[in-house]
Amino acid sequence: METALTPEGLSTDILAIANMPVLWVLALGVFAAIIVQSLVYMKAARKAGPAADISEAELKTSFRAGAIAAIGPSLAVVLVSIALLTLFGTPAVLVRIGLVGSAATESASASLAAGTMGATLGGADYTQAVFVVAFMAMSMSGAGWMLATLILTPILRRGDTKLRRVNPALMAIVPAAALIGAFASLGIAELGKTPIHILSVIVSAVTMAVCIFLAGRTRATWLREWGLGISIIVGLFAAYLAHTSGMAPVA
Amino acid sequence: MSAADTAVTPNASLAEFDRTTSRWGQLTMGVALILSLAAPLYLVFFTDLGITAGMIWTAYLAVAAAFFVLWFVEPITYYPVLGPAAMYQAFMIGNIANKLLPSALVAQAAIGAKAGTKRGEFAALMAICGAAMVHVISMLLFVGILGTWLVSIIPTDIVDVARLYIFPAIIGAVLVQLVVTMKQPRVTVIAVVVAALVLFVLVPAVPALAKPATGVVVLITAVLAWFLRSRKTSATATTLVN
Repeated sequence: METALTPEGLSTDILAIANMPVLWVLALGVFAAIIVQSLVYMKAARKAGPAADISEAELKTSFRAGAIAAIGPSLAVVLVSIALLTLFGTPAVLVRIGLVGSAATESASASLAAGTMGATLGGADYTQAVFVVAFMAMSMSGAGWMLATLILTPILRRGDTKLRRVNPALMAIVPAAALIGAFASLGIAELGKTPIHILSVIVSAVTMAVCIFLAGRTRATWLREWGLGISIIVGLFAAYLAHTSGMAPVA
Repeated sequence: MSAADTAVTPNASLAEFDRTTSRWGQLTMGVALILSLAAPLYLVFFTDLGITAGMIWTAYLAVAAAFFVLWFVEPITYYPVLGPAAMYQAFMIGNIANKLLPSALVAQAAIGAKAGTKRGEFAALMAICGAAMVHVISMLLFVGILGTWLVSIIPTDIVDVARLYIFPAIIGAVLVQLVVTMKQPRVTVIAVVVAALVLFVLVPAVPALAKPATGVVVLITAVLAWFLRSRKTSATATTLVN
């Protein structure tokens, strides 16, 4: 199967194809869809405001409050996104990490997809073809959330009683098990790679634990949203030190 | 406006609001869905990399096996909090729990609107619009322009190391964050034990399971977590769910 790849497909210059102008145009299209949606919603809200017992001034206040509250979390996402630029290129990061998905789900999807091609994300075998297959798979998976939203929202709205009456214990345990199962599997799989991979996982995990601990003990709740960005930077820094000090296997 | 008018108009204008937001919500989300799939499809069809349909479906199955439960569970979970209109926003903008919900709550508090009322729903909707604008601008500016420039000036040896170890550096933190916020110690232990057994015992014995390994872990963890759940907490679950 892998013999079908052309010589071009074996190039590791990801950014040459990941930053193609067409991809930029499509990514900006997704941003445009969100902007149009917000404008239509705001106009509709202003029109129906009196019926909902909310004044124009209160609508404005709500908009401003939401915007200000989003600054911190947005910048935290920015930091994580920049760290992922070399892996996926700007357009894919903007759409997949910045918008629809999250750093966690999308990089997990990409890692799983690369694994089916016998490659490691960002490794010497992370070729253009592996990138494209990973990008395709994570976009299809992201489409799963959007399709489910498009299908389920009208159903939930018509008569949500049946879906909401699903056993609460089932709704509490199965999603948690699916999430933790998926990420535990991916995390433990990293432990089977090089010593520097193991080091990166552990340093990043410990950094996050410290962030969460400090956020709980002090009033620095911002550490909660910045935890992922900080852990990635610290984890990568540890990896860089280990890599340059010769812990890396000679490639 | 006469008293008789206001008795009828509110319902009519709220109904119109529902119609407008659901029609445009579906339309814009549909467009975003198509555009987001078009990007990788373009690369598959218009670059000469030799990618086959088999490679894509194999990769998709491995990813879907890990995440398909969440596709359905997350929309159902967030619906009561978000309401129909904001659903189409939330699943396009992402980062719901850590960005959109806090924004909505802050806005409701700012104007003294209770969640579950129409006032609350409108305040949340406006807050998410505000959050969306801030997010769109900061992504385009700081990632689109600044980030792309930053990557172009960082020395290649640093970029190479970052690319090589970014995934382990993400997964360690994400796992800890998940375990702490979920507060499900029993599920966590089951997941870790199952993952270790599948990856280091089952897969070496049955190499064919290497590709769907994560899906296998998810499935076994979900089943075991259900059957090994604490009956004591499930009896009191009705008061704990919210």
